[in-house]
Amino acid sequence: MTDDYNFEGLPLASLRPGTTVLVAGPSHAGTRHLAFRMLSGPPTEGAILVSTNQRAGRIADDWARSGFELDKERAAILDCVGDDDQNVPAQVLPVSGPSDLTGIGMRYSDVYRTFRQSGVERVRTGLFSVSTLLSFGDLKTVSRFVHTLVGRIDAVDGIGVFCIDPGMHDEQTVSTITQFCSARIDVRETESGQELRARGIPDQPREWMNFDVETE
Amino acid sequence: MILCADPETPARERTTGALSDAGFDVVEAGSLAEAYEALDEHPVECVVTEYTLPDGTGLELVDAVRERHPDAACMLFTATPLDDIDTDAFGSLVAEYVHKDDDHDELVGIVEHALAFRSQTAYPLPANESARVNALEQYAADPTELGASLDRLTELATALFGVNAAAIGIIDAHTEEFLSCHGVSFDPMDREDTVCTYAILDDRVTVVEDVADDPRFADNEGLAAANIRFYASAPLITPDGEAIGTFCIYNDEPRTFASRDRELLSLLGDEDGTTVAASSHPRRGR
Repeated sequence: MTDDYNFEGLPLASLRPGTTVLVAGPSHAGTRHLAFRMLSGPPTEGAILVSTNQRAGRIADDWARSGFELDKERAAILDCVGDDDQNVPAQVLPVSGPSDLTGIGMRYSDVYRTFRQSGVERVRTGLFSVSTLLSFGDLKTVSRFVHTLVGRIDAVDGIGVFCIDPGMHDEQTVSTITQFCSARIDVRETESGQELRARGIPDQPREWMNFDVETE
Repeated sequence: MILCADPETPARERTTGALSDAGFDVVEAGSLAEAYEALDEHPVECVVTEYTLPDGTGLELVDAVRERHPDAACMLFTATPLDDIDTDAFGSLVAEYVHKDDDHDELVGIVEHALAFRSQTAYPLPANESARVNALEQYAADPTELGASLDRLTELATALFGVNAAAIGIIDAHTEEFLSCHGVSFDPMDREDTVCTYAILDDRVTVVEDVADDPRFADNEGLAAANIRFYASAPLITPDGEAIGTFCIYNDEPRTFASRDRELLSLLGDEDGTTVAASSHPRRGR
């Protein structure tokens, strides 16, 4: 067994290896910021981010602004948008587009393998976002993809952080995607700032909790 | 049963050997044509395939597998670099990729996990899925023995709710089979195509007022062909608490379902669960 994954600076309990969390909230800065922070582990851990609708360079900038030091040795971005971005401080892997779920899954497995070969065993996986996949593919196909990726993350004792904007989909769609994940965090914006509420995370309070959004 | 497709005999035998040593039954194929034959003959639950086959590609094979055994775990096991694999045309298949070298440990680990957790299904599984499927074997009742009493229940339900049809379905690992149908006739269906697959995720009555308006079923050809618009069901729960199937009612028009209707349907589900369980006990005792 490997140790739990921790989230420094966030009001979140640690996660058992193999857990995938659905982060559900409007696609404004708060939800993405939370997801970026959850992906950003200590230097011994790697991170693989699947970007469905933003170029690698852009998402690398946003990720860095959330306080993460990107590094080719331990950060990879699967870019479904396709422009060749130079000078991104991460491995950038091309995928033909957000409807090529087979390609995304295979690229993911391949990058994970190269991480492990270079000694990075603990990997956090981000999927930004399930909503884009749903706008390019049907629910059944996206379901199979999400289920397979959740299974792969569990098999290698990683953690997954998948984003969805519930306002873009039917309730049944969001509930189906939620059922593949072991936990869910809802995000909302209030007058006093960003709040999160978790379900399915042991030792985590069930109330809305404030979290800070700092950008550097 | 695992289908292993690889045109190179020594490589295929090494892969097959590693999977057999891990306790799996394996059928081999050296080409797409041989693989198709194996698919017709065996209940394939997992496919491990090279990318380049003499008469096609591994992705074409996965495509055929998804048609026949949609829940199967599919893996490309190949040394072909991803840059040389055209996934774009097969984007909706979803398959694993395991890099092929002399070490088969990674492949065996991924196969074991995918089969144990059934992680390539297109639908969510109940949390207690393996206990549920085990319970099903225990309660595998004799349909002919049960037929008459269940037929009375489905006929009563149709009249009680004023709907076109009612059915009692049992959901096993990959398919739903119907013990009784009234006003409709169903052959066994792939689990990913039935509403009941989603209904057993909830221990209460499930109501879909209009399947055409639900993203899970809007594209479902089977429902359209059977002229089904409204669906409601109660789960059949064994005394140990496992949902092994559903008592469902259907209508050709969308409709609402009052809370009293839910209570009555729930009673029918309980009645039916008791009948199925009771008829199975003697078999279990023997």
